[in-house]
Amino acid sequence: MSELLYERALLWIILLPLLAAILNGLLGRFADKDIVSALGVGSVAGSFLLALICFAHLFTGMGATEAGAQIATSVAHGNAYEWFHISLPTLGGGTHEVSIQVRFLMDALSGLMTLVVTGVGLVIHIYSLGYMKDDPGYARFFAYLNLFLASMLILVLGSSLPIMFVGWEGVGLCSYLLIGFWYQTPAFAAAGKKAFIANRIGDFGVIIGMFILVSVAGSFEFAEINSAAPEMVQPFYMGTWQMGTLATAAALFLFLGCTGKSAQIPLYVWLPDAMAGPTPVSALIHAATMVTAGVYLTCRLSPVFLQSPVAMTVIAIVGSMTALVAASIAVAQHEMKKILAYSTVSQLGFMFAAVGVGAFSAGFYHVFTHAFFKACLFLSAGSVMHAVGSHSDADIFKLGGLRKIMPRTHAAFLLASLSIAGFPLFAGFFSKDEILLGAAELAYAPQPFSANWVGWFVLIVLGIAATLTAFYMFRMYFLAFWGDYRSAGEPAAGDHHAYDPKPHESPDTMTWPLIILAGGAALAGLLSLPHEWHLTNWWAGWMSHSIASVHVVAAHVAEGAEAVEGAEHAETMVPYLTAMAFGLTAVFVGIGGAYKLYFNRSDDRFRDAMPRGLYQLMADKWRVDALYERAILGPIAGLATFVGWIDKTFVDSLLTWIPSQAAMFSGFLATRIQNGRVHAYGAVMVAGLAVTAWFFVTPHPDVEVEAEGATARFEAASGMGYAYRWDFESDGTWDAPAQEHGEGFGAERSPSHEYAYAAVTERVLLIAQANGEDERLVLSEEPQTLPTSILPAGWMEDPTADATPPSVRLEHGDVIMRRNSAALGTPQVPITQEELHLGVGDRLIIGRPGTDRTSIMVRGLVEATVEIENAFGNRAHERVEVLLNVPPDRAEPDAQARLTTQATSQGEVLR
Amino acid sequence: MEFPIGLYIALASALFGIGAIGFLLRRNALIQLMSIELMLNAVNVALVAFNRVHPNTQAGQVFAFFVIAIAAAEAAVGLAIVISLFRLKKTVDTDSADELRN
Repeated sequence: MSELLYERALLWIILLPLLAAILNGLLGRFADKDIVSALGVGSVAGSFLLALICFAHLFTGMGATEAGAQIATSVAHGNAYEWFHISLPTLGGGTHEVSIQVRFLMDALSGLMTLVVTGVGLVIHIYSLGYMKDDPGYARFFAYLNLFLASMLILVLGSSLPIMFVGWEGVGLCSYLLIGFWYQTPAFAAAGKKAFIANRIGDFGVIIGMFILVSVAGSFEFAEINSAAPEMVQPFYMGTWQMGTLATAAALFLFLGCTGKSAQIPLYVWLPDAMAGPTPVSALIHAATMVTAGVYLTCRLSPVFLQSPVAMTVIAIVGSMTALVAASIAVAQHEMKKILAYSTVSQLGFMFAAVGVGAFSAGFYHVFTHAFFKACLFLSAGSVMHAVGSHSDADIFKLGGLRKIMPRTHAAFLLASLSIAGFPLFAGFFSKDEILLGAAELAYAPQPFSANWVGWFVLIVLGIAATLTAFYMFRMYFLAFWGDYRSAGEPAAGDHHAYDPKPHESPDTMTWPLIILAGGAALAGLLSLPHEWHLTNWWAGWMSHSIASVHVVAAHVAEGAEAVEGAEHAETMVPYLTAMAFGLTAVFVGIGGAYKLYFNRSDDRFRDAMPRGLYQLMADKWRVDALYERAILGPIAGLATFVGWIDKTFVDSLLTWIPSQAAMFSGFLATRIQNGRVHAYGAVMVAGLAVTAWFFVTPHPDVEVEAEGATARFEAASGMGYAYRWDFESDGTWDAPAQEHGEGFGAERSPSHEYAYAAVTERVLLIAQANGEDERLVLSEEPQTLPTSILPAGWMEDPTADATPPSVRLEHGDVIMRRNSAALGTPQVPITQEELHLGVGDRLIIGRPGTDRTSIMVRGLVEATVEIENAFGNRAHERVEVLLNVPPDRAEPDAQARLTTQATSQGEVLR
Repeated sequence: MEFPIGLYIALASALFGIGAIGFLLRRNALIQLMSIELMLNAVNVALVAFNRVHPNTQAGQVFAFFVIAIAAAEAAVGLAIVISLFRLKKTVDTDSADELRN
């Protein structure tokens, strides 16, 4: 097959479950159950087959190049496209065009993950056929499950951060939908919400981390980010506060996302509640695949994480503490799925501890083996619940003796338990040993290496956690499968925990997946053979194609030159023996303890052996949920109550109630008109007609004047049958004869008249004001003082002296202005005379230079009168003032009043 | 003999006023329709009278014909409404047509 065909196959790995999800989601409820099953399981089987084909191709070509073989869809072949592109500012100050392409890539890491996702997914789909057989939401369940698989595959195969993030969000959504699958039960719906919110908090970290990475690498592609990792030792500034290096900031933000998705301290609380979903969901999403996405992401970006010893230390400590805390909770729980849930959190802690000590390959190896044994354990628990007829969970103290009743389930459960406990030669033994080895190498790393304590810390904490793991697994195993069945009696009436008194083995569709997974749990460890020092085992060799091969010791002293030398010295047998000792001790102490306390017993002897308070704390999950309730939810709820109170009292009353009452009242008034009486409407109509009639019967002059020099131009409004006569000087003689103006309609204004004045009746002083309206002072023989309120602030010549405003009067037609204490002048020259003779049209500036100044003007005032008669014989007068800025006598020395008329339309002189 | 235009206008105004008052005061839908007819015809009288004063385009008479045509259509629609009202309420009292109230 050509490369092109492999690219197509890679696309269809994702598209098959996606199409099945769409079909089942939209049409499934109308379709036959067999069609839904065929679509749901068939698409995953096809996907698994294609994944196998691609992986085989990858496998045969792996040694070909330095970077290892990979299958990547490309735009050139039409199997990828540009989603969008953005322009990003770079650290240097320029901008950088970043193209985000929907591309998928399968390499050593994502190839194995794809196999796990589709393989375990297929097995669990088959199991679901039996488990969900009688559920009314059958089609919905398969649609969600297929959508989850498609999202998970996008997450794994996406070749860049944004594409991965689409899958990251998609699996979060499906997780929410499936936890709340039986949403009719409020507690289940609440568990779904809790998971979603905890995940959202983490997703925020992923987004921030993504932006930090792209700001350095200039690309969202994993390959380019990883190759840009060495540049990330620059300091990172949040505002002006330096927050470690860029790599530290990015790694810590990404790790915040991982704590959400992969249930680490402090965001792990959602995972145990997530067991509200159907058991196949718990097995697939909340044990085998989705929760390992965080580990996958850290492995993907391992070169970035390796740049930051601080982040690595944080991850190692958080991971190992999560492993210990969750394991300690698991030993005190009673329900099978609860125990397994905390076991999952604990095992995820192991994986992150591995990542934190730099053993990425070991961490991912644990993802791989954990997928088998934890899926097997969950499905076995589901099988037990199915057998005893329990819907929510199964209390191990009410079970017992299932070994004989359910032989297949028992065998699978035993194998998987041995595996997770780390019994030699089972898968869990190898992967756990690799993790402990990673920690031991760190612990024994020679000086000047300063992080030995991290290695010791992780080694000891994980050793205790591994002991607890073996203990709680075999506590569950002995209590559930040995002894006698303790619910054999008749169930008490009303006891909702009543179990079927006669349990039975589950159908083949459920037991065969168990056996397949148990086989994986037993044998997957062979991949890490030879499990010996100095020889690179198959797994590590394979993973080295995708995961940074920088040795952890070198990573922690990346700054020092002794790094390489130190790394070589670490290649001794001591760490291997230490790790092996810790691992084996843990298994045998754990299993031995469980055997001693619980073999063929039915009471909780561990509880009796423990201090009462400590056991209660562990059974109460260290009261972390209660702490979050008090410390986070409480204050938020209080704030919400307060804000709600403000909303009710302030917004609803003041801002809503009052306007609403106003609107209601005006509406009430308006409805008085709409009273439904024809007569009232008629009366309004008649009233309206009367107003219109009045408007037509009364003439409206509406005069407009424009003065220029000594000439003014007059226009009045036109109307039906209007006739006008003008007295431009208001002296009682009609200067323009009465004249009818056309037809009335159409012409907007009357004929315009230009009248050149020969004399003015009054003189006025205008003082410019800030608002644009001039203050007007009509002059007379009597002297008038200009009020200071209309003068500009700096009008005085000498601000310190007592100020007298200027005064002004008329004398023989001249305007005389006394300056008094005011500063007067033309725009350029100040005036020093005490008295000034001004004429119409003169302009002065008042105010000191450099301060607020304003202009004063002398104008001539005349009044003009127009009289209009309309067709009905009604007359109207209007008198308008005309301000002339040139005195008529100055404009033309021997002036005579003169009239020019311009008719805008045909006029008819009546008189 | 020729009457002054004012008499025609006075006649038209009187007819219009009678029609308007009838429309406003009577409750019987048929009487109200007749009042509307009266108002329309008062307008017709005024239009024809104005046409005699300004006869050059005959616009007044043409307009009067339009009013007559409109009045015929209005009468048809109006009577249909009256019949519908009667079927609904068993009365032609316009006060009973208050379905849209509140």
